[in-house]
Amino acid sequence: MSLIYDPPQDCKLVGAMRAIHGVSDSITIVHARPGCHCGMLLLKALGSNQNDVRVISSGFRAHDTVYGAEGRLSSAIELSQEYFEPGLIAALNCSAPAIMGDDIEGVASAMEEQIPAALMTLATGGYEGPAWLGYEEALVKFTDYMIPVERPSANKVNLIGIKTDDINAAGDLKEIRRLLKDQGIMVNTVLADASFDEIKNAPDASLNVVLGGDGLECAKVMRERFGIPYVMTPYPFGVQKTTEFVELVATRLGREIDSELIDREVELVREGVERVCMFLQGLYDMPVAVIGESGRAFDLAEFLSDELGINVSLLAITGKNHLTSDKMEDGNGYFGDVLIEPDRFEMNNLIKEAGVSVIFGSTFEKHLSSELKAPLIRVSYPVIDEVRITDPPYAGFRGTLHLCETIINAVITENIEEIQE
Amino acid sequence: MTENGSGSKSSLLMSFVKMYGTLPLHGITAIPGKISGALMLADAIEDAVPLIHGPVGCAFQRKVNPFKPHSPFYTTPCTNMNDTDVVYGGEEKLEQGIRETYERYHPNLILVITTCPSDLIGDDAEAVTREVSSEVGCDVVYSTGDFVGRSKPVGYQDAFYAITDQMLCNGTDNGDLKRNEGSVNIVTFPIHGAGIKVAEMASVFNDMEIGVNKVCFDHTRVEDLYELPKADLNITDYPMQWAKLMDERSDVGCYEILGWGRYNEEKDPELLSPYGISGSSRVFMEIAEMMGKDGVAEEVIGRRRSDAEERLSKARKGLDGVKIAAIGGLHGVGLNLFKDAGVDVSVLICRTQIMEGRLTDGAINEIVDMNMNLAEICGFDPETLVNPTIEEEIKAIRRSETDLVIAPSTSAHLYNREGVRTFDPTGFMIHHQRVGFECPIELCRMLKAALKTPQRRTPLLSMLQHDSQMHGLTPHWAKLSRAFSLLRADTIGDGLGVEVGDEVGAGVDVELDVEVDADIGRVEGGFDR
Repeated sequence: MSLIYDPPQDCKLVGAMRAIHGVSDSITIVHARPGCHCGMLLLKALGSNQNDVRVISSGFRAHDTVYGAEGRLSSAIELSQEYFEPGLIAALNCSAPAIMGDDIEGVASAMEEQIPAALMTLATGGYEGPAWLGYEEALVKFTDYMIPVERPSANKVNLIGIKTDDINAAGDLKEIRRLLKDQGIMVNTVLADASFDEIKNAPDASLNVVLGGDGLECAKVMRERFGIPYVMTPYPFGVQKTTEFVELVATRLGREIDSELIDREVELVREGVERVCMFLQGLYDMPVAVIGESGRAFDLAEFLSDELGINVSLLAITGKNHLTSDKMEDGNGYFGDVLIEPDRFEMNNLIKEAGVSVIFGSTFEKHLSSELKAPLIRVSYPVIDEVRITDPPYAGFRGTLHLCETIINAVITENIEEIQE
Repeated sequence: MTENGSGSKSSLLMSFVKMYGTLPLHGITAIPGKISGALMLADAIEDAVPLIHGPVGCAFQRKVNPFKPHSPFYTTPCTNMNDTDVVYGGEEKLEQGIRETYERYHPNLILVITTCPSDLIGDDAEAVTREVSSEVGCDVVYSTGDFVGRSKPVGYQDAFYAITDQMLCNGTDNGDLKRNEGSVNIVTFPIHGAGIKVAEMASVFNDMEIGVNKVCFDHTRVEDLYELPKADLNITDYPMQWAKLMDERSDVGCYEILGWGRYNEEKDPELLSPYGISGSSRVFMEIAEMMGKDGVAEEVIGRRRSDAEERLSKARKGLDGVKIAAIGGLHGVGLNLFKDAGVDVSVLICRTQIMEGRLTDGAINEIVDMNMNLAEICGFDPETLVNPTIEEEIKAIRRSETDLVIAPSTSAHLYNREGVRTFDPTGFMIHHQRVGFECPIELCRMLKAALKTPQRRTPLLSMLQHDSQMHGLTPHWAKLSRAFSLLRADTIGDGLGVEVGDEVGAGVDVELDVEVDADIGRVEGGFDR
């Protein structure tokens, strides 16, 4: 195994930032040299929420590695409060100040009385772990601010594992809310796509729904601290997983499923399928590669394989979560080779050998896609070269048809002459 | 090259680049770190591979290229430093990593880029690269960001310096170099189209009997870099530390197109105005003098100039009496180009807010004065507005019966909705503005096209709120910008003692100067909002 590693995922900083940025009235202070802040800002600014970028730098400079930069951090906290009046200010301590030993917790603690916003700190040195751990830790950290509720509302659930900067996240969430609402289930708080007050109010729910395994640690801590049970569900790609999702949530709440509603939804999917049935027949056995994070990629690959008959020759998991090994076992038979957090060079070589027709991945697969003349369907983080402002979902029943049309269009809109060149 | 580039591919490229040219990044809300700059250089050398000595984040996150956000750095292997390495050191990993990088990619150059963790724990990148380089079949160079002081972009400057220091002029083979006498290198910041932008310059040199040894970066390979010390002169856009080093060690002189150092001594604003007929003539003549070709150059420049002026007089038809509102600053469309185009600069808009956290008041005033002086030299008598509101601008534009505003697409709609046509400097600056005599002719064509654009009275962008001072930004982004500026200035005293030349040459935020795709639309004028 090679020592050098061209990584398919980022460090803790990005994972934490993705969770924190989901809090709509938060400010993230990147306490780091300018490159880390610039990277965070770019990842946000190149997405589909350019009006909602809330990442600032602490202004850390080279000579601070000698004298420390705690003063800068406190200035950044003060300025964040003054400029943005946020509910939450999160300071993320990156490699340089972490190695120097900047006491960011001390800074936050000293400023607590002076700053109306809640102050949160997190160790996110690049060497301290991968992005998915940063995401998990940030969600767990949110539990410190949650307010216990004596009698949580019935039929209210929290959704855990949503990342607002995933492509189609807004559309997916809308669809998931709709599916649950149709069954009489309301969403209390989305972790993390909520205001800070909503985060604090998360214990007012009778069930935590963990989608795809992301945020499992947070669900466990909430069970321990607030007595809220949790249920693990797939990320609802396709008819089967959507149905399973609804059933799992309803069952855990002790509710009976409204089967008629589900049947009606499935009928709508059937009608859609019928409209493009010949193209869908054409997709059968098409070899593809799926590259993405554990929380979504397993379920997407399974949908492609099981429901569309697509041959998932290779599944590369760019970022794990606590369920990854279980998912690997469950998914046996649905996909060919499975790579976990592979080196990009090796992954690309395997994809080239697999001879795939379509790649499901992120912007960073663009070059490979172009090299292989295989269309790239952007489903995984980061997507920084495609925008969504109309929020069509990939998840749920409606998302099933949207995925179908995206895949068909990706193939048939290609210029065959270019492919033949 | 046609008005829109050279065919559909260029046209698409220009649009593509422009899509990202509106990001308020470099020096406005963020500054890229040294890794990005070094990767920019590694990426520009076709047979080089970077090796990032650091954790995964330093490799993954830096795939997003702040200089060209549309072109990620796809290949960024790293040594995958973890917490154990931070305690015990990562030199062994680096050593092994260099070997593996060679075995995997078979490059001709491995550029080792150190990161915060490896720098802070004191990994000796120099010793490791020296040790391993004899074991691999390629050059190995390391860049820490410490070689070039405050010269920016640090990563780019440092990596290029490292290549020069450790590879090109390291004292081992310098004596064997056979000089390509009477030749120059033209080295620009590695953005697309460098070859096209210097083609005319190379042709003029040819007429002046000056050879072009190498043009960088244009499909540049390691073997091309080795040829650099054979030339007599390096021509760069702005001060480059590697060029100074090459001058010291290999006696290759250096000429900076933007004469910041000389400006600071002479305070002649024309030194910062290398474009247009007169600016280009001056640059060509100065280079010719350095190359001992001033005799032949005089005739060549005169002939070329006369030919260009003849065509320019035709191209100018239709622009007589046209009034424009220009944006002053350090890096916009040069005022002398407008003079060449035969238009009148009726309004000069200077926005200094973005510099306020980083330059002294004196330096900012000097930049404003410099623009006014340049306007005077060019024969313009504009109404000068410093940090105007959009309403004040519109009033001045109407009062002076100005026909066209030079405005990037971030703020063009604010003028369009008032019935004022605009000219986007972004495409011109990225793809057309260069030393040479063709440039003003192209500007004439483009200005005439802009004067014919349909009126856009109801742009959707006008539905948004915009900051009253930073017109191109929404109030939220303006806050981010002010926060960035304040936090840097307040906490580090960036604004203290920074001279005008420092803005580009060695001081703060020289990212503003390089014609960065993602940035140029934003920074036109240097103080563009």
